[in-house]
Amino acid sequence: MLFTINDSSITSNSLASLLRIIPAGDPILFYEDGVYNAMPGARDAQNVIDAMVRNPIYALDADVEARGIKKIITGINVINYDGFVGLVENHEVIPWL
Amino acid sequence: MEKVIVMLRKAPYGSVYSAEAFRTIMGIAVFEMDICVALIDDGVYVLVKDQNPEKLDMKPLGDGFLMLKDFNVNRFVVHGESLFERGLQADDLVLDAEIVDNETFTKIISDYGRVLPF
Repeated sequence: MLFTINDSSITSNSLASLLRIIPAGDPILFYEDGVYNAMPGARDAQNVIDAMVRNPIYALDADVEARGIKKIITGINVINYDGFVGLVENHEVIPWL
Repeated sequence: MEKVIVMLRKAPYGSVYSAEAFRTIMGIAVFEMDICVALIDDGVYVLVKDQNPEKLDMKPLGDGFLMLKDFNVNRFVVHGESLFERGLQADDLVLDAEIVDNETFTKIISDYGRVLPF
């Protein structure tokens, strides 16, 4: 299953909530305001880094560029819309709203 | 002179709040009011440098706020804790803002008395 996150972990508990229950191996996609979770140095960055041991993490390039995010946590894959579609084709999508 | 704070608590692009805040500031700036733009929580993301929302078919909001100085909107206050917990520093922002602690933020709100929240 592909789990998507579209808000910042400092404002919303959706990232923390997801990390409690996500099955090992399933991918996470950050999009819209969710891409703020890909920034190193942010309060919850270590939780994201720890999560990548079990779950691959992706961030949507259009949303990363829009928000002026220049540094991304090492290991997070920045993908474009084609990559997004590829993930959706291969996984059941669970928006973690 | 009338004093007002326009307070932003939401990130740009993910919702219309910060864009509407910008439109409001442009609208009231013509009345020669003493306008303070205060950014707290995800609102601090609005001033991050080098925003490029071209692929979202939107305009860069940070550049818009930088332009407000031309309309005599000169006071920008950023809540420091909000900025730092997001891994950001003063030089990540498009303009020189007053970066303040909780106590100072509280005092500024009290001094102005009137707040337009976004």
